[in-house]
Amino acid sequence: MTIDCTQMGGKVVLHVAGRMDAESAAHLEGQCDSCIAEGATSLVIDLGDLSYVSSMGLRSFVGIAKKLKNKGGELRICRLTGLVRQVFEITRLNQVFPMYESVESALLGG
Amino acid sequence: MPQSLTLIAKPESLTAVTEFVRKGAREANLPELHMRQLELMIEEILANIWRYSYPEDAPGRVAVTYSVSRPGEMEVEVADQGVAFDPLTADAPDLTLDLSRRPVGGLGILLVKSFARSLKYRRELGWNRLSFEISANP
Repeated sequence: MTIDCTQMGGKVVLHVAGRMDAESAAHLEGQCDSCIAEGATSLVIDLGDLSYVSSMGLRSFVGIAKKLKNKGGELRICRLTGLVRQVFEITRLNQVFPMYESVESALLGG
Repeated sequence: MPQSLTLIAKPESLTAVTEFVRKGAREANLPELHMRQLELMIEEILANIWRYSYPEDAPGRVAVTYSVSRPGEMEVEVADQGVAFDPLTADAPDLTLDLSRRPVGGLGILLVKSFARSLKYRRELGWNRLSFEISANP
């Protein structure tokens, strides 16, 4: 799994690609913790190139979202496809986090 | 003909087991999406075994067997000799809770149940035997 971190419109966008399993889930959580420690209160995570996520990955998304909510912000997720979209829909996490079809719409929020 | 692989139930075994079932998935000509669903089911089932079935300081064996009955379909059994546990009777997670009350875990078995065409459990001579079918056929 690779994570590219960029600043867009004053917000941090994390572009996550590849496979997210137990080991790499902790890596994403660590990266988000660093962003939060540096002052970010809302994060956009682009999953357009993520091909695999297990429940360990979901655990990280829930954990990150809770930390952001405690800071008065939120986790915005965008560009779900294939298995990743199925997993979010089955667990209904697509109704817990704000979901967007593009990075641009996630940055705008609402 | 069924193919089997027996390893110690620990996180380091996941890659080998995944590669093993992917071989079966290729034999069955499973589409890429179903192959990923299969990998996810294997990860969730194995993780439950190494976390809950055996003591942390004494991991035991896990035996994975697959057979390809016809193109697009595959049967898989995962067996362990840990404490008796029927995942089919586990409480379903409450998916209606909002973020603040959502537990961070408990979704693995739900995903396995959702992706399996059929899912069966039996306890036999000290073994937990969880078997499922994955199918790309209508």
